[in-house]
Amino acid sequence: MTCEEVRLLIGAEPAFTGTGLEQHLHSCPACRRFREEMRALDANIRRALQRPPELVRRIRTPPPAIWRQWTLAASVILATLAVLLLWVLRPTDTLAREVVAHVQREPESWLEGQQVTAQDIESALSGAGVQLNITSDKVTYAQSCWFRGHWVPHLVVQTARGPATIMILRHEQVNARRAFSEAGMSGVIVPATDGSMAVLARGAGDIDGVARALQQDVRWLPGGH
Amino acid sequence: MRNSEPESPVSSITERLPSSDAQAPLTQLFESLRPDLLRFAQWLARDRAIAEDIVQESLLRAWRSRDALKDPAAARAWLLTIVRREHARLYERKRLELVSLDDIVEAQPGPRLAEPDGDLFTLRHAIMRLPLEYREPLVLQILGGFSTEEIAQELALSSTAVLTRLFRARNKLRVICGMAAAPDVPGASEAAS
Repeated sequence: MTCEEVRLLIGAEPAFTGTGLEQHLHSCPACRRFREEMRALDANIRRALQRPPELVRRIRTPPPAIWRQWTLAASVILATLAVLLLWVLRPTDTLAREVVAHVQREPESWLEGQQVTAQDIESALSGAGVQLNITSDKVTYAQSCWFRGHWVPHLVVQTARGPATIMILRHEQVNARRAFSEAGMSGVIVPATDGSMAVLARGAGDIDGVARALQQDVRWLPGGH
Repeated sequence: MRNSEPESPVSSITERLPSSDAQAPLTQLFESLRPDLLRFAQWLARDRAIAEDIVQESLLRAWRSRDALKDPAAARAWLLTIVRREHARLYERKRLELVSLDDIVEAQPGPRLAEPDGDLFTLRHAIMRLPLEYREPLVLQILGGFSTEEIAQELALSSTAVLTRLFRARNKLRVICGMAAAPDVPGASEAAS
């Protein structure tokens, strides 16, 4: 018998024995191993067949009712809107995040209640290339801070709705107003004649009002870069 | 007619046909073989409800032809043959309605039926997925105890064709069990005898 014939026979009837088969197996270790494997497999097949297959019909999910589809669609739309709202209110870019982070690093700026002097304001503005036409009785904090590679004026002004932080960013250009909300602060960065200005307030401060006033109060000096 | 709780085919027979004392042993014999027949039918049909219909119909046919059974010792093989033919008839009649494997899954064994190893579950699943042309001779051989020649006669195939189908069935299962497939048998004829 050839190996092919032997394997066909073993594969079909692993328990089969016969003179020709045994003679071949005696001289063919590969076929002998094949029979051992097939007999072991056959024992498992017998065990497997002893129990009837326990079949269950796969439950087909019924198509959702129309109202469920609408509910689902509404949920998706609401979730999308919520994500969009969060996206709109997020710090729009690295600049906004860094403004927030900078203010968070100087928490005492919100707590100052005493008015700063005109010299303090002038000192804070020095080197920033701007002049500020603002009465010192509104300003409770004025520092020149190192921010993104430049000294920038960092002021806190008192408004009817509480303190608001102003950062005059002569070296940061933005194309349009950017609003953001983060870490309990709301803020806006607005483009200016030369550079931009950031206004932040805790909670619902009047940031847009301050920003509008600031557009009038700031005078950009030529060659201030 | 398929019912959610089908009555026992044997009970059905005894209810319809009043049995005399002389027929009682045959009824008992049929009843004792019913689990075997049902298991065999389930492996063929892969659906318990269909298998129960097949077995019930087979027992009714067997009862009607009971005079053909000369030797009670041959009752098991005789009944299994009837079950296989009944399944084949159903398969021909309702070819388009038979169970799709996409619609069924084998139930995971519960704690009570937990098997000692997951390989057996895999093997059972693999047998279930074998095409009928391979599954049928394998089940006939192992569960039915039929010889190659008897299977060939039953399936109207040559002995070589049956050997080839049995070889290929095991070869497929061999692969499922992680062993290398044996080279297929080239040129094996599957012509009907």
